Amino acid sequence: MTARFGHTELPAEQARALRRAVRLERVSLGTTAVTMTLVILVAGDSQAMKAAWVEDSLALLPPLAFLVAVRFIRRAPTTRHPYGYHRTIGIAHLVSALALLTMGGFLLIDSGLGLARGERPPIGTMSVFGTPVWQGWLMLLVMVVVIIPPVVLGRLKLRLAPLLHDKVLYADAQMNKADWTSSLATIIGVLGIGVGLWWMDAAAAIAVSLSILHDGWTNLRGSVLDLMDARATQYDGEDPDPLVHRTDEALQAADWVAEAECRIRDQGHVLHVEAFVVPTGGAPPALARITELRERCIALDWRIQDFVLSVVEELPRELLPQLAEQEQASASGDDPRAAAQPSSEEHP
Amino acid sequence: MGSLRALTALLLALSLSGCGLSVPADPEGTLDGARGGELLVGVSHSPPWTDARGFAPAGTEPELVRSFAASLDARIEWEVSGEEHLMSRLEEGELDIVVGGLTADSPWTSQAALTTDYAEATGPGGRTEKHVMAVRMGENALLTALERHLLSPEAQGTVRESGLETSR
Repeated sequence: MTARFGHTELPAEQARALRRAVRLERVSLGTTAVTMTLVILVAGDSQAMKAAWVEDSLALLPPLAFLVAVRFIRRAPTTRHPYGYHRTIGIAHLVSALALLTMGGFLLIDSGLGLARGERPPIGTMSVFGTPVWQGWLMLLVMVVVIIPPVVLGRLKLRLAPLLHDKVLYADAQMNKADWTSSLATIIGVLGIGVGLWWMDAAAAIAVSLSILHDGWTNLRGSVLDLMDARATQYDGEDPDPLVHRTDEALQAADWVAEAECRIRDQGHVLHVEAFVVPTGGAPPALARITELRERCIALDWRIQDFVLSVVEELPRELLPQLAEQEQASASGDDPRAAAQPSSEEHP
Repeated sequence: MGSLRALTALLLALSLSGCGLSVPADPEGTLDGARGGELLVGVSHSPPWTDARGFAPAGTEPELVRSFAASLDARIEWEVSGEEHLMSRLEEGELDIVVGGLTADSPWTSQAALTTDYAEATGPGGRTEKHVMAVRMGENALLTALERHLLSPEAQGTVRESGLETSR
């Protein structure tokens, strides 16, 4: 069976990446379950260990969201869902972002209160095969083991995220990072408690929580912006998607096109493109040439499939807010692209 | 990178605290202070675990605390009072250990560090209760030392002689 995103058939590389991503996320769920079991066995009264457990339960959310979303996005568009089911990826991204943010917030508040109250974590002994062993050693042992899977899984996900343009995978990779950094904080905290520095546990957790909060906030912002149809960005939510520019270029390259602009929204993995072109000479070209231009644009990238091409007399300024921006830029002489284009006013 | 800084701070702290380092250590040095010194123990009346009616506290738990203090060469300063008062004294750091028939289900977990259970008994309603002692919060060297003592064959022998079930 070929792998699909709605009516988009995936190229071999992406299909393979998707299969690997699904497998990775299943492995993530499994290791998190094992980790949670191990941690609760040795947790005792350490705040850091309890926090580590709550975090682990939050770390279940991104993989779950991803696996659920993947089931939906395969569906083809229907009458009731004319744009397809691709937005589920956006929802999964929102869920993952909130999980990250909650984890960071929980860790910060929990440790901050502990530090402010001067809570001194008691760590006593635990009987291992009849011998009392200081529980701190057991915690360290467990933490050193559980720190490994998120490091490995996170790195693998980071490699797949750009291939699939998958923001959920990217957010989940950051969740893995949050996971192993907080395990590291626990190791530092337990070592600190071991030498009598009771505040070390909370201090290390606070340091880590700030970076988790930052990742959570960035992802929350990105997912909300995508759901609000902001300009498409790359998988990490930082830079504008290069496909926006490439589509514009492809449209303008056609010899019968005088002017072209499009608006593009990110539906998850795939883009929804609405393109407007003004033909030269004010006369519509042969229909075959319009079809050919549309197909050339779709061939640009596997992520472009839902592509609406309108041939218009004049670019609809109310739908293309970027036009006003470009005119401003060309007036001050910054944007060579806008300057090279005849402005729409010069047209009959 | 914050974690890296914390790790550096930890290594610094480790090197500053010098060679005579034992893990776990007490933030307030209670165990070291008790060696050849004084151990402050609170007792609330809860027979047969503790009997605070006489001149000196009697019962299984005072006996266990006495043998623990003997192993440290420590004198015991007893304080007899109600459980709640003793727990707030423990929280303020004016007591080191509190005994009084406490169980693992004790509600004092945010005021005191409970030891691992060292004996079992049938409580009210026929439930099996796991018996513990309370130690000053965060004094982990004292906590581990007391736990090791309570689980030692000597202490477990004391528990058995008093007709209670040992937990191990």
